[in-house]
Parts: sequence; structure tokens; C-alpha cells
Amino acid sequence: MSRNWKIERRTFLRGAGALLPLPFLNLMEANARSGDLYVSDPPLRFMTLFKPNGVHPPSWNVNGGKENDFRMSPLMQPFAKHKDDLLILDNMGDFGFSSHSNSTRRFLCGHHQNSRSASVDQLIADQIQGDAPHRSLELTTEGLFVNQIGCSYISYDKKGGMMPRDSDPQLIFDKLFRNPLSDPGKRAEMASLLDRVSSDAKALQRKTGVEDGDTLDEYFTALRETELKLEKMGPLDQGLESSKFARLARPLAPSNMDEQVNAMLDVISMALWTDSTRCISYMLGNSNSRMIFDFLGIKKQHHYLSHFFRNFSRENIDSLLKISLWHMEKFDYLLNKLKSYKDHNGRLLDHCVVLYGSGMGHSDNHTAQRIPVVLAGQGGGKLKTGRYLRYSKNQELGRLHLSLLDLFGVKQESFANAKQPLPGLGGGKFDEFVERPYESWVKVDSGVMTVQGRLRMSDNLDEAKVFYIDVEGRNSVRMEIGFGDFHSRNVAYHVGTPIKLTGKTVEKDGLTILNKITGLESLFGNSTPGKAGG
Amino acid sequence: MRSIFCIFFFPAFLLGGVFEDQVVPILERSCLKCHGGDKTKGKVDFSEILTEVDAGDHLDLWETVLEVVELGEMPPEDEKLLSSEEKKKIRGWHEEFIKLPVEIAIPVFRPRRLSANEYKNTLRSLFGFDLEVGIARAEQTESGEKSLVLKILPPDPPGKSGYFNDTYSTPLSSSLLENYTYLAGVSLDRLFSKKGKESLSRMIGQNGDWDGKITPSLAEEIVRSFLPRILRRTVPDERIKAVLDPLKGKQGKELVSVLMFELKTFLISPEFLYRGFLAKPSGKKGRQAVDPFELAERLSYFLWEDMPDDELFQSARNGDLQDKAEVGRQVARMLAEPRARNLSESFGVQLLGLSSIDDQIKNNPIHLHAMRTQPRDFLHYLFTEDRPVMELLDSNVTFVNQSTSGFYGNDRRRLAPFHKPRGIERQRTMNQRLEIKDAEGRGGILTMPSILSMNHGPILRGTWMLRTILGVRLGEPPGDVPAIKPPPRGKKMTFRERFEAHRENVTCARCHEKIDPLGFALDGYDKNGRYLLASYHKRGNQPSIDTSGKLPSGEEFKDFEGLKHILITKKRDQVIRNLTSQLLSYALCRKLGRGDQSVVEAISRKATLGNLTWKDLLIEVANSVPFRETLFSQSEAK
Repeated sequence: MSRNWKIERRTFLRGAGALLPLPFLNLMEANARSGDLYVSDPPLRFMTLFKPNGVHPPSWNVNGGKENDFRMSPLMQPFAKHKDDLLILDNMGDFGFSSHSNSTRRFLCGHHQNSRSASVDQLIADQIQGDAPHRSLELTTEGLFVNQIGCSYISYDKKGGMMPRDSDPQLIFDKLFRNPLSDPGKRAEMASLLDRVSSDAKALQRKTGVEDGDTLDEYFTALRETELKLEKMGPLDQGLESSKFARLARPLAPSNMDEQVNAMLDVISMALWTDSTRCISYMLGNSNSRMIFDFLGIKKQHHYLSHFFRNFSRENIDSLLKISLWHMEKFDYLLNKLKSYKDHNGRLLDHCVVLYGSGMGHSDNHTAQRIPVVLAGQGGGKLKTGRYLRYSKNQELGRLHLSLLDLFGVKQESFANAKQPLPGLGGGKFDEFVERPYESWVKVDSGVMTVQGRLRMSDNLDEAKVFYIDVEGRNSVRMEIGFGDFHSRNVAYHVGTPIKLTGKTVEKDGLTILNKITGLESLFGNSTPGKAGG
Repeated sequence: MRSIFCIFFFPAFLLGGVFEDQVVPILERSCLKCHGGDKTKGKVDFSEILTEVDAGDHLDLWETVLEVVELGEMPPEDEKLLSSEEKKKIRGWHEEFIKLPVEIAIPVFRPRRLSANEYKNTLRSLFGFDLEVGIARAEQTESGEKSLVLKILPPDPPGKSGYFNDTYSTPLSSSLLENYTYLAGVSLDRLFSKKGKESLSRMIGQNGDWDGKITPSLAEEIVRSFLPRILRRTVPDERIKAVLDPLKGKQGKELVSVLMFELKTFLISPEFLYRGFLAKPSGKKGRQAVDPFELAERLSYFLWEDMPDDELFQSARNGDLQDKAEVGRQVARMLAEPRARNLSESFGVQLLGLSSIDDQIKNNPIHLHAMRTQPRDFLHYLFTEDRPVMELLDSNVTFVNQSTSGFYGNDRRRLAPFHKPRGIERQRTMNQRLEIKDAEGRGGILTMPSILSMNHGPILRGTWMLRTILGVRLGEPPGDVPAIKPPPRGKKMTFRERFEAHRENVTCARCHEKIDPLGFALDGYDKNGRYLLASYHKRGNQPSIDTSGKLPSGEEFKDFEGLKHILITKKRDQVIRNLTSQLLSYALCRKLGRGDQSVVEAISRKATLGNLTWKDLLIEVANSVPFRETLFSQSEAK
């Protein structure tokens, strides 16, 4: 599809001189585009970013909100500035509870029992590789969890086997941009080597003895793929490869995890921009990640903290929110990168679909509902972004995957349990969640305030102890309560839902602040849903 | 997917209708709607499984059934879930069923890719040098991966058996093939460079005077010595000739480059990267002994995680390995070689899950080194010095260095002094072998500080002991497991008391009645492995820590010593059976099936009654039917 596009870009890059730093190169290309260099469509890319350990729903969920009128949740603040490029999906998932390994499989396979087919990224990779030398990259941050191996993989091959993952940004960089095979001589040698090995292996195949078609087939497939890769790095690139990639900066050896992830996201963006690959999956951690975020000053393991209800303490919640914010910041970092690269007649992000999310909703009780899923990028105009889609009924992830397959041109009748694609992604109709109507109001009577409205956490997670109750037509009521109230009234449980609340107030900096709860009633739900720790 | 087990066993024993009376009705009631007859969702069809004999044909299926039923994944959410009574019936039948003796059944032979470690070791043995990454690091900094091979190859997940050498389910990808090609290139480049001269001259028997020039006759020499070692067996003349032909008439640089090319084709061939493509069937039908080179390879990868050495090749060539006594002799010899270290580094580490020590100690390389090496050195000692199997749990020998000596009371005075160079404050030190005489509460793997600190707290310790030592698999806790309740207001409860309350819930009790007594017995040790009770005993005080307990099978004990005594007496056969089956699974690089049970039974009975040593046990495994024999697909019984 894009040979032309490639020649144009590569010729241009060669002309740009070998020593220009990247941003400048970028700038030049942006200027050059007015010359209408491009005759074909840019390739579409697919990128997945996996967040471990579900979410803390009170701070993640969007409270209320309609398709085009919604307020991003406190946890979404780090990437709120990209709102116009996002499609936030809500009410995604299965029923019931989910183990960590099931939720890992669910993320890209649509359903945890879909374990004999390829994950959606791999199906897409096959379809869109085009001229890109590397079919796909499977990347991760954390090592293998040997005891729960299912938690360490999101990408699966067509037999449902685990795709090996790479985790060293420097190695990936070298593989993509300092590959010995970019040298034509080396490539020729490799080609004849593969030729020989292939004919020898065929002889082996004909021989009697061990008859294991499957295993040998696997070897032949790998051989063929490597030959294909050589062709794609092929004659077009002679002399260009080195000049094209020489300018890309090799990441330094990271000294902590934050640097490692940033380096990897840098390499990912470069890989997509240079069209070295069009499909990448990246895990920010295993799905039951036990990483210790010491660079955030946190000494406890993420998985332990993610069970925020069982292992409740104010300090643990704060730590969990810090970690969650860090995950959101990484998504923001990636989006910034993808926007910073000019691609064709626009930004790289315009020609990408980024799938960000997890395979699990509530990180403590492991519900498989309201799984966090955000799409970013316009997918070449096929996604209508800037919207919040909250479906009236629970939607299995498989439906989303079926839509993505369609978007990337993979013709498939069904995926996992899904027979129908997910409606609404391109701007079409969908069955939107409608909340039961309720009235919101405030009454104050001699220091006792009664307020009815939707409870939410403060947008600023640095003050995670502060809650607001939204009341139509006036400022939200600020609530600063002590630990006793928070704990015994199970305030976190009610976040996002309408409540009627009675309490004592105090004046602070000219504001009336509710600081002691004397009564809490859920309008539509259970008023005493059980206590923290119970 | 084709089951790898060729089923041709004749169940000599059946449970007399338990399956038909208790399990089949449940299947009919709750499963058949979607998994039987017209509909066979997930290709599962229970309508064809009516008797226990049928059930035996689908061994893998039952494990899946138990798992999904246990997790509440099946029946699906819109159907009625199984009652705990029903679950118990299926589980109970399965537990008994898999214990039934059956005839030995051997799976059809399948080639298997070398694991990353096997590949690394094999490459080193072939070339005589290690490939290391080009960055030197100080001892005190956290050490990254030193081996170039392990740095470049993505880690393989453990297979169904739980062991890394079980690579059946991880595919070879094109990027992996590219990595293999790169590593083969780097190795050959180095071999034919100045740096590799020593290795090369060793390979072709040249002495120090050799000028390093590759003459045509030396090139032939290299081919003849290298090829059989790459393919790990004698190579037919025509194959050697096919490699020698392109070398004809070449000289100097050209000769070397053609030679390197030819060798490279072998180093990325399936015959090298996989084990078993060249295994030769005997021609007769049914189960048959593997050919001598295959057996040699099985032995060396089992004991060394590496290719056979010259002596083992020699023994294979002579046909000596057919003799079980010769296999015994070879095992004994191989255990005395330095490469036997890999048995504890690989099997031992995976058996006991020791890699989690690495994940837990992040910022203190010296402490990490001490904690890592202690159990490994101990296992190496047990495996190679002919120690009784049960010394794993009960031994008066341990391995101690400067960092761990503090755990061993007055015994540490008998250690040779550790010397520190001037200006060095802390350093890594080698472990010394130490006989435990005075130190209280030590001896055996369970009370080793590194094991105790690897598993903090009674629950992790209990679970670990149950799984690793007793071989009991618990499965995942149910998804909606309630939290451990805090004590009611105003009441003080110990951790132990809170778990006693937790066990009042029947669902929780199922696992916790097994876990808790084992774990709480170790409460006399703190999270760093320090023995808290020593000081009480010294002062003659009654300890305030309750370490007593009662196992579900009825045995009571008053402290950990009591539990240990039960483990090495009443539970002795269970422990040995577990260790045997782990060892066999590792040796065969696959998950054991029902057809292996009688082998496990026979070996463990022998080990229990005869007080066998680890060396004996290794020899028994090496001489067992599934290790020595195989089944080729074309000889498959119909």
C-alpha cells in the first residue's frame, strides 16, 4: 500500500543530512508537507498499553456524564488534555469475578476462555504488516511470574501460545535501528544461510524417523517470516537505512523503572514513526504486578496495595493512587510522543489506534465489569474521538476487538463470544446508559446540612481525603471528614452515585465545609453496603 | 489439539462405579446442555464419557473441569452453579482416580527446543568459552544479566510441568531465529579470531606452537570434530562430505569464511536447536528403547542442563548405555563433574521456587548473594555427595557465609575466618560447610534463613510447604474470598486466632486447615528467619509463641520440631513420592500423566523402604522406563 510513501519519506530523509537532531528533522518534515509529497495513504498502526491490577473505581469511573458532555475522572487528569483524541469506553466487561490470569487473557483475547486463538493484536499484525520489516513487537516491563504464568502474557499466537516478550529498551532499539541486517552484505549472507538451512530441513522432513510435522512446521514458519523480513529490509533501503536511523538516539541504560518505561515508550514511538513495525503490545506490568514503586517513595507491592479494601489504610490508598496516577502519566507520555511526530499530513497519533486499559475492573474484589478501556487516536478517521461511551448494558471486550479487526480490515465473523461489533465507535448510534433521574438540593439548618446529589472524589488526588457532592445550579459541597466517618460510612463505596447526606458543617476560608456525617442514604443503592475490612 | 499421550493402558483397577454413580449424574444435569450431543462448546463432549474407562481417555480434560468448576467459571453465570457437595464429589472421585495404578504409558516422541539455559550451556560446551555482555560491573552494584545469550533470548515461560526445560508450548518465532543466528555468528567470529585460538586449538588437538593458520586439512579436522558435537551424535559420512565439498580448493580467508558459513548452517538447524529430531526408531512397533545417543543426551541435559561430554559420547558409541549398571556408573561420574552444579541451579531452584528470593531482595547485593547461595549450596551437597533423600528436611549440615553466620549461634566459631581486604567494609563471601551442633532450631531446608525470609508469614510458609514439600496443589483461592476479619472492637486477637475464626467458614477451611498448621508451626521464626524461641529456651521460660498444631490427618505436634518429626516419619512416603515425581517430571521435560504414576510409585516405594540417597534416586529415574524408552508416531498402537 505504501511503497510510494516510503520512497518519498526515505528519499527525503536521506536529503535531510546525517547529523540533524530529531525535533529539527520533525520540523523540517512538517514544513515540507505543504509541497504535497504524499500520494498514498499512510499506514495505520495499532498499539496496546496494558495497565496491571485493574483500577480503583472510585477515582477512575466517570461520574454521570453523557456522550459529549462529561467530566473526566480524577485518575484521568494526567491525560485530560488529550480529551479530543480519546474515546472513553464504559461498562465494558463480562459478568462475575475474574482471576488475574483470566483478566490478562481477556484483555486482548476478548474472553478468558478464548484460549485457542490469536489475540486481537496478532490478528491485526498479520493484516497490516505491509512493508514494515518487523511484524510486531511484544514488550513488557516486569519479569515472568513463574507460579502464575498466565499473568505475564497478553499477546498470544494463533494456537493460543504465549508470545515471548522483550523488556530491554536498548535491545529493542538495536534490533530495530542498529540491526546488522541493515547492511546489504550481511543481508545477502543471511539470505543464503536461510536458503541452505531451509533445504537441509526439508531433507530432514522427508526422512523417516521422528514424524513431528507440527514442530518442524513451526521452524519453517519462522524461517519464512525471517526471509520475508529480509525482503522488506530489502533493496529499497540500500544505503538509506543507516542514514535514516543514525539520527535516532539510543536510549541510555535506565536507572529506575520510570526511566525504563519512558525509554521503552520512546523506542515504541520511534518504531511506529519510522514504520519499522505497525503493531506493538506493551505491558506496564504483569496483571498481578508486584512491582515496588520505590522511586515514588512507596515500599509496598502494587498487588498488595491494589486490594485497597481488604488492606485498607489511608496510607495504602494514597500509595495506590500515586501508582495509578503514574500509570496514567505513562499513557499521557505515550500520547505526547505520538503527537510530537509528524506523519504524512498530520500527527502520528492520527494514524494510530491506541488501546489502553486493563482486563479487570475493581482491583480489590476482581469484578470483570466496568473494565477501564480508553481508545486514543483517530485510526485514520475511522474513530470519532472526544467522546465518552457508556453502554447501557455490559459489553464483552470481544465486541470491541471485533470492531478493531474490522477497522484494520480483518474480515472475521466473530471473535471470542462476540458476533456483533461494538456500536458507536465511529460516531454511530449506541444504546447509552441512562441514569434514573433524581433531584439535587442543599438545605442548611443551624449548622446541620442536608444535601442530595452525586458524591465524587476530589479531582485532585493529592487531596484524596476530600470529597464533593455535586448539586445542580450551585457550587459543589466540599466534604472533609475524618477517618472514622470515611471508614464506618464506607464513603468510597458510594462514590459516583447519588446520595442523601446529613452532616455538621464548619466555616473554613469563607467556605462551608461538611466535616462530620450524621446520616448517609443511597438514593438507588444499598445504604449500608458492608464496612471496609468486612 | 492432539493429546500427546498415546493411550493404550488397560485400567486394571477401577473405582467400582463411583464415576458412574456420582459424577455422571452431575454432568448430565449441569454440563450436557452445552457440552454434549448437538452442542459441544469448546469441543468438550461429555455425552461420550459415560464410564470411568472413557474418563481415563480424557485425563487433561478433568484437570480443566476441576479448575473451572472450582473457580465458578462453569457452569456459566446464567446457569445454576454446582453446590459444594457436587464439587466435592467430582474432586473426590478425581483424587482417587488418578492414584489408581495403571500400566505404564509413554507419550509419542516429540522434539523439543532447547531452553534458554540449555542453549547457553550447550554453546559454551561446544565452543569452550562463554559469551558475555560487554559491560563490566562492580560486585557491589546490582548485577544485570552477564550472559549474552540470556540477555538476548527472551525468557521462556515454564511449560505445563512447571519446569523451564518443558518448552513444548512455546513457539519458535522469527525474532528468536534471528537471535539464534546472531549468537551463532558471534560465537563463530570469536572462535576464528585471536581470542578464540585457544579454544580452537583444543578442539583440534593442536599444541601451543600452532600459528593459528587454518589449512585445508585443519579445516577438515574442524568439521569432523565439530559436526558430531553440534548434532550430538555420530554423523554419516555423506553429511560430512556435503560440508567438506564446498571447502575444496579454498585457501586462507576464503576457506575460513566458507567454513564458518557451513558451521553456521548447523548451528541454526532444527537438529541443533531442538532435541530429538535425529532420534532413531528401532523399526519395531510399540514402545522401544531410545537410541544410545538420545539416551546420552537425555542424561546430560537432565543432570547438567548441557550436552554430553566426550566420555558419555564414547559410552553411547560403544553401545554401553544399554546396560543399566553403566547408566548408574555414568550418573555417579557426572555428578562428580563441576557441571552437576546445574542440577541444583536449575532443578533445585525450580523445585523450591528459589527465584523469588531474587525478586524480594532488591537493593542489597551482598545479602542477596548470601540468601541465594545458601539453599543452592545445600542442594548441591545433597545431590552430589550421596546424601539420603530425607536430609532435605532433616540434616545437621548447612552452608554458611559471613552474612548468614549470625543465625548459627556458637557453631559459627568453627568457621574458618573471613578475611577482608583493607578498606572493604562489606563483601560477598563463599559459603563454608558447617556442622550444626549447638544452634537451636536449625537443620534442613525448612528452617534455612533464606527459605524463611522468602516466605514471610505463616500463610505463605504453609502454602509453600504444602505445595513444594508435600506436593499438594490447592488451586487458586475463590474469586470472592472474604478478607480475614479484624478482631471485634475491644477484643485483642492474634493473627493465629483470626485465622482460626477464618477457618470457621467452610469454604475457607478447605484450604486453611491444611495450610495453617504447617505455617503457624514456623511462627517461632521472624520474617528474616531469626529464631525467636532460642532466648526463651535459654532462660528456661515458657515461650509465649504458640507453634503447636494438628494436621487434617490427625497428627498433633507441640512445636516445629514435632512437625518436622511427623514429616520425616509419618509423611515420609508422601514427601518422597512428591520429590520423585518432581524429579521425573524435570528429567522428562514434561508434565507427568497417569501412565507415569506406576513408575513414580515404584521408585518412591524403593526410596522410602531402602532409605535411598539422592544419587540413588537420580539413577532410578535415569533407568526408569519413560526415561529410557519412547514411542514413535508411526509405531503408535491403534
